[in-house]
Amino acid sequence: MSRKTEPVLSRRGFLISTGAVLATTALRPAAEAQAPLATPAPVPGKEKLIVRSSRPVNLEARLADLTDYHTPESVFFVRNNYDTAPIDPAQWSLKLEGEVDNPVVLRLDDLRKLPMIAQDVTLECAGNGRSFHQPRASGIQWEHGAVGTQRFTGVRLADVLALAKLRPSARHVAFDGNDKAPTPQAPDFIRSVPRWKAEEGHTMLAWEMGGKPIPHLHGGPVRAIVPGFVGSASIKWLERIMALPDEFNGFYMKSNYTAPRVDNDKEIYSLESLEVKSVIVSPAEGAKLPAGRVTAWGWAWSGEGNLTGIDVSADGGKTWTAGKFTGDWHRYSWRKWEHAWDAAAGSHTIMARATDSLGRVQPTSRAFNRLGYRWNVIHAVKVDVA
Amino acid sequence: MWRSLALAIALAVSAAVIPAPAQEVAIPQTPGWELIMRCVICHSVEIAVQQRFGPQGWSDTLDRMIAYGAPIPPEDKRVLMAYLLRHYRDPAGR
Repeated sequence: MSRKTEPVLSRRGFLISTGAVLATTALRPAAEAQAPLATPAPVPGKEKLIVRSSRPVNLEARLADLTDYHTPESVFFVRNNYDTAPIDPAQWSLKLEGEVDNPVVLRLDDLRKLPMIAQDVTLECAGNGRSFHQPRASGIQWEHGAVGTQRFTGVRLADVLALAKLRPSARHVAFDGNDKAPTPQAPDFIRSVPRWKAEEGHTMLAWEMGGKPIPHLHGGPVRAIVPGFVGSASIKWLERIMALPDEFNGFYMKSNYTAPRVDNDKEIYSLESLEVKSVIVSPAEGAKLPAGRVTAWGWAWSGEGNLTGIDVSADGGKTWTAGKFTGDWHRYSWRKWEHAWDAAAGSHTIMARATDSLGRVQPTSRAFNRLGYRWNVIHAVKVDVA
Repeated sequence: MWRSLALAIALAVSAAVIPAPAQEVAIPQTPGWELIMRCVICHSVEIAVQQRFGPQGWSDTLDRMIAYGAPIPPEDKRVLMAYLLRHYRDPAGR
């Protein structure tokens, strides 16, 4: 379940990950030459993140750096399907169109006239954990760190949509950002959410993250925040909203960000709610601990459900004890959990298992799906107590 | 034609990218490696080399990229497939 980090980027990581190939070619007289390809370096201020891809920018946190309830910007993951250049907030505008009686173009000052809200929201990439699927699933090979929590400030999307007067025929709301595909033939990154979710009181358009203007890499000047849904619903660099009779008919709704239904794997659906999930931040994998009192802790979250419990096992899942939630939380934020016990000498596998109000429980396995989504398998770490 | 298309795409992309100091990602220099340059017109090399597929998976992926405008004519696709399957194959993959 747990896997050693293999940095895809570094030469050493590359050699490790292609060890099998090298073994088969070891009889050749000379090692294969390696061609270095230049690629943009990590973004300033984001050096602590693992670079999964530099163009488009895709960066993930190490679990050990996810120690704060509010994830600092320096270790907040970045998931871009496409990149874009920074946008001047003074030039920014948002077009509302489609199944509306009053198409409007709004600027930041127009949004500021609406009632403001602020809330803590956990954002998680739909593909977080993809690298743990076997065989390897297609896409960015995230481990645990494509998740983070921040305080977002802005306005309710419902209040914005009211200005455009959605028609009854509007059943879905699509978001289009300023990011551009590198070729005209590649699909634009557009995703929609059902109208009930668009008008739900927590769904917002945000321009502040942690009390500061949303940084460019995180979608500023203005982005959608769709709490509880997979991160890709929260479109960055938002510039167009379309009210539609049906789910948006495009690649990022009908092909990517889809998974087979559990009860009928012939049918695929576009991902909505995040899964119920937890991670163990401490102790870390491979930690050596003195015998005695050990406290494990981590984060748990659950999309559209409310967390109802966190069970912790110190014996590889044979027995489970209820842990407790501590500290701040919000309807759609993660919650810190912890559990302390007296550990005897030996090797132990610690596991955490969250449950939620929708009756969901973290599973011990997840059926392979081609695009590697829905990874919420119980996290386990091995520790040595001496 | 492929070269001019590649150049046009590269120019279009470079205009939107924030300049940053370069770092290096190494790939094995076996026959066909130069064709990876066709991939990095649009995305950095990590995107390609962190994938592991079988023949069907790589073929489908390349076909999708070609549909998006990647300048990879059929004879080059065959060479690139061989390169990718040599170094970036999942034996259990599709």
